[in-house]
Parts: sequence; C-alpha cells; structure tokens
Amino acid sequence: MLKNKRWTFIIGLLAGMGMAVVAVVTLPRLQPHTFYGTVLQSPDKAPDFELDTASGTVSLEDFRGKIVLLYFGYTFCPDICPATLAEISKAITSLGKKADEIQLMMISVDPGRDTPEMLRDYVTHFHPSFLGATGTEEEIAQVATMYGIFFEKHEGTEATGYLVDHTATVMVIDQEGHLKLVFPFGAPAQEIADDLAFLLK
Amino acid sequence: MSILPDEGGSFSHLTKHCDMKKGLLYALYALIGLVVVAALAFKIFQPVQVVPRIRLAPGFSLIDQDGQRLTNEDLRGGFVLYNFTYTRCPAPCGNLNQTMQEIQSRLDEAQLGDISMDFVTISFDPDYDSPTVLKGYADGLGADTSQWKFATTPDETLLKAIIGGGFEAYYNQKDDGTFAFDPKFVLVDGWGIIRGEYRYQTQVPDTERILRHIRVLAEEVRNSQGSASLAYEAAHYFLCYTP
Repeated sequence: MLKNKRWTFIIGLLAGMGMAVVAVVTLPRLQPHTFYGTVLQSPDKAPDFELDTASGTVSLEDFRGKIVLLYFGYTFCPDICPATLAEISKAITSLGKKADEIQLMMISVDPGRDTPEMLRDYVTHFHPSFLGATGTEEEIAQVATMYGIFFEKHEGTEATGYLVDHTATVMVIDQEGHLKLVFPFGAPAQEIADDLAFLLK
Repeated sequence: MSILPDEGGSFSHLTKHCDMKKGLLYALYALIGLVVVAALAFKIFQPVQVVPRIRLAPGFSLIDQDGQRLTNEDLRGGFVLYNFTYTRCPAPCGNLNQTMQEIQSRLDEAQLGDISMDFVTISFDPDYDSPTVLKGYADGLGADTSQWKFATTPDETLLKAIIGGGFEAYYNQKDDGTFAFDPKFVLVDGWGIIRGEYRYQTQVPDTERILRHIRVLAEEVRNSQGSASLAYEAAHYFLCYTP
C-alpha cells in the first residue's frame, strides 16, 4: 500500500515536471510580443536584388545575419523621407550596441537624379551606418514592384523640380533573409525599436 | 477555547501540515495542467482561424478600361481579388470570369461590413488589350466597373514583374499569338499583403473557398483589436489556417 502511494507520488511528480517543461516552452509563445509592424510568415526568401552604393554593388544576401530595413525614397524628398529616416535613426540608436546588427538601406525611387554618392551623403546625415542604393530605371522598377512599392513622378515647384510620390512603408528582413515585418508610414521610433529588439533576441 | 493541544494534537497538526503541502502541490499541478490544456485546446479547436500572410503583393501603376491610372495604392485599405487573363482568350477562359461574377453576386455571404472590396482583372496582352478593348470586354461581361476593373500596362517588362514576379502567375505567349497561362486568383488584404492564392480547378470551382477566406479575413480585420489581437496573432503563430 505504501509502495503504491510512493509510485503514485513519483509518477505524479514526473508528470508535473513534464507539464512544467511543456508550459515553460509554450507560455512565452502563447503570449507573443505584440508587434507594431504587420508580421509576415512568408516561407520564401525576400526578393533579392543587386544595386549600386557609394561603396560598390550590394545585394540583400550580403547582409545575411543582420536585420535589413528597406526603405524606398529619394534625396530630393521634401518631407516624408526625412521624417521616416529620422525615426529609424532614433530607434536604432536607442538599441545601443545591438545597432550593429541592423542595416538600413534606402533604395532610390529617383534613379534619374540620385547618384550613389548623393545618396550616401544624404542617408549618413541621419545615421552613419545607413546605406543608399540606386540602379537603372528598370532595376529600380523591378525591385519596387516586388516590394509592393508604387512610385510616380509628378510636377513640383520650380525650386524643387519634379517630385516622386511613393509608398512609404519600411520593410524588415530578418537574419535569414525572410521578409518579417512591414511598418506603415509614421511608425514611432519607440515601436520600431521594440519590434527590432524582439527580433534581435 | 484552549490553545493547548488536545490528545494527539501534535499528530493532527502534522497531518494538517502535510495536507497543506499536498494541496499546494495539487493546485500547482492543476494550474500547469490548465495551461497545457488551454494551449492544446487552442491548437485543436482553433477558436480563431486566419488566412496566412503569404507575402507582399506587388506595387504597380496600370491603365484601366477607362484610360484611368490604377495603382496598388488606390486599392490599399480594402480587399482586392485579382485574376489574370487576356480578352482574346478562347472559350474555357470564360470560367474565370464566371468565378469573378459569382463571387461578386454572393459577396454578402462574406459579411464584409464596411470593408470595401474590389475586383481587378489584369490582362497580360497589352498589345491587343487597349483600354477601349478592355472597356468592350467589361461591357460584354456586364461588369460594374466601379467595383470590377480591367487593367494592363504597355510596359511588358514591368507587366511580367507584376504578374509573373509579384503575383506569381505564370504566362507566356505562344507563336500563334495565344497565351499559355496559370489560371489563378489572388486575394490581397488592405495592407497590400497576399492572403490567398487559388489555382483555378475545372472540377471544383474555387468560389466557396474564396468566399470563405474573404469572410475569415473580414472577421480578423474587425475583431483583431485590443486583447483579441493576441488570439489572432497566436492563430497566425500556430498556423490555424482556414481550409
């Protein structure tokens, strides 16, 4: 009788420990970090490309192991681009040392005017690690299409020259090359930083 | 009331202590069990079902049947069902349009509420399918072009990137001018994310499945606010996908 009880206790204990392990594994997954950006679970890798920067040709694959933020903009951009780049810069700076594991790349939607050097001078003004990339009109159109970016030239004032309307989302590509998050225009630095910090864990 | 232990009092105190320990242990088991059961129940019963967020839909600027510009940004905020065809397509192609028409006529089943829904047929034959031809085609189908647009772009490289690359719908012009193509429907949400891809099947029409997915998507958009969003994110996480 006593032996029986002891076995019951041991089995109960083992079962309890087993359940505890399951709970420890499951619980954090049940309560996921609430992303500000829209999460994608695409099984495919994000579309790759080869574009020119001031320091040579880059492709998305060059940054495997890092989180890549893709933004489409242009150096003559009067308002939207500086606002977004400033927020991202703030978010990245707030992550401290982990900022090294994040690479922002702005792809020009104005390849007619933007040169790699102009793009470098423009983006590094926001954060020294930022990259600016451009290519031929065709290459840019292809990349933009694949990332759901619409862009179109329209008349500006005499001072600004023409302007380019463009989708202002920020795409986050994870360390393995999957498109993971999309931030809408106007995402605050704190929210961006929280999401990135979670992805870097 | 005496604070002195009665006969055998110390012994009863001991068992009481034991009982409490046991009770605590049981409570712990019960708590852990409850969490495990809840997790399993979520996975098995799937209180919330979702359609997957597959990938980004392509960006585009096309010309529609009225010669107006139609971009992905114009369609942002509402759902869009796309298909791909060409107006010179011989007989069996008509079935694709029938599916588009049937979904439109039964759209109230999807319970969209105040979410808008557009239908876009993109032609991969811009050489022939000018806006005028597309307009005639729409009229022939009796399409309400405020809801169902027909569009294409003369830039064939870009068109290939949009349809072939972005929507992953294969097409290729044969020597006789006809096209070999992938009869496909693509459902895109208000954020520009592809949520469903349907290969047209001649035996079982996709209408039911597409309507069901539109309804599930509308439910998600309506309900996934505040704490309920956790349930929806969990559903995405556990891949609780609607069949």
